[in-house]
Amino acid sequence: MTAIETVNLTIHYGQKCVIKNVNLKIPENVVFAIMGPSGCGKSTLLRSFNRLLELNPNAKVEGDVRLYGRSVYDMNPIEVRRKIGMVFQLPNPFPHMSVFDNVALGLKLNSLVKSKEELREIVEWALKKAALWDEMKDRVREPASALSGGQQQRLCIARALAMKPEVLLMDEPTANLDPVATEKIEDLIYELKEDYTIIIVTHSPSQAARVSDYVAFLYLGELVEVGKTERVFEKPENGLTERYLTGRIG
Amino acid sequence: MLREVKEKLFLCGIATMTALTVLPLFHIIYSVAVEGLPVLLRGGLEFLSGTLAPPGDGLGGIGPAILGTFILTALASLIGLPIAVMTGVYAAEYPESILGRLTRTLLTIMMEFPTILVGLFVMQILVIPMGSYSAIAGALALAIVMMPYVAVYTEEAFRNIPFTYREAAFGLGLTRFKVVFRVLAGMAKKGIVTGMLIGMAKVAGETAPLLFTAGGANRIYFAGVDKPVGAIPLLIYNLVQQPYENYHEIAWGSSLVLLLIFLAIFLPLRLSLKEVKL
Repeated sequence: MTAIETVNLTIHYGQKCVIKNVNLKIPENVVFAIMGPSGCGKSTLLRSFNRLLELNPNAKVEGDVRLYGRSVYDMNPIEVRRKIGMVFQLPNPFPHMSVFDNVALGLKLNSLVKSKEELREIVEWALKKAALWDEMKDRVREPASALSGGQQQRLCIARALAMKPEVLLMDEPTANLDPVATEKIEDLIYELKEDYTIIIVTHSPSQAARVSDYVAFLYLGELVEVGKTERVFEKPENGLTERYLTGRIG
Repeated sequence: MLREVKEKLFLCGIATMTALTVLPLFHIIYSVAVEGLPVLLRGGLEFLSGTLAPPGDGLGGIGPAILGTFILTALASLIGLPIAVMTGVYAAEYPESILGRLTRTLLTIMMEFPTILVGLFVMQILVIPMGSYSAIAGALALAIVMMPYVAVYTEEAFRNIPFTYREAAFGLGLTRFKVVFRVLAGMAKKGIVTGMLIGMAKVAGETAPLLFTAGGANRIYFAGVDKPVGAIPLLIYNLVQQPYENYHEIAWGSSLVLLLIFLAIFLPLRLSLKEVKL
């Protein structure tokens, strides 16, 4: 089944066209990587899926993005963002809140839980899912800012998972992490795909090769190639993809 | 050689100018302390709580003025703070809109606006229709003086929050109201509180907006929001113009009290300001 589909998606920032007529079909329960050099529009494309792009008043979206066949632009953006969670490049847990409150925030403010007990259960579940529970179970009341970078990023994953999203977007989630923390996040991504459709943006082809089942190569706002990761890495159909994978552009 | 001399001269010049700039501050603190402290010590608690002495006869107290200053500041805060915080939030949330940009410009102009004109304005719309000076008129004038400071600090506080936190909050499917007031406000809290305290400290020492509004009261404490009320700066202004020596002494004592109130708000503020970082 297709989780996310884009139809003739074109995005402008003011006069500048950053995404040009992109058509993608992302199957469910896979890790789908969007790779490409810096500035190719990867993050913009990702933010059009959960309509976070609308925080930028200059961004104009044409075409359509569908979540399980339903246009996200016909849905309330709030509903879209609850169904499509997101993890960002910079670990951004709210520094003035505790670990617990960071994970509980979305549930509490959206009134999605009935009791404190239920809230505690979901927070624990999300922290377990994000492989953070063992480290954090005695520290949930500590401020999130006291955590290491890798822990903060896993906390952000827990925060997104607590909302029980259908799709999880990850915008270069390891760009600011050391190799050890990166490996933990990549392992986590592998485990999470059983339950979620994960769309990860990365500027590193090797990361795309390590974590993803499918990969799309985006260059200057255009979709150059898309397919099963193994196939794209072993036999790229497009010369541009080959040059990117061999490090000649990037 | 000549270059070194020039450099030394230049340094000396700058040092002298700097000293001249800050000298008034220290002279004010020094003279207010030297002249005011004996008055305060002589007057004792009575000076803080009692009512004004008759001309040429003792110190009495400045209780009504102190109480008035607190009442005026509190009332002004009650009127001004909610409006100002909302204005700051608006300017921060919609910086690109015409109204948002206009708000920003107007706030900066309001900060520099001659405060005596604010007093005249409030006299026109409140004092003349009501037929008397009143606490509420004074408070309204002070609120108008206070609001731009609070609004600008609030706006800055929200603007300084890195965009990624805003994205994170919206990414959880929260409404704009909840993003602003339940998530970002917590991060902007220190900046907002700083703005509030600066606004309050500013108006606690204002004289001009009160001249045509609060009216002043030195022998009764507080008769109601629709009745005239005293204030320390107003009292100082009035006493200094009198030909009685004891009134001049009371004015020095009042100045010290005002300075202490001002420092009590500002010193902790400046010390805690360093922490306003994310």
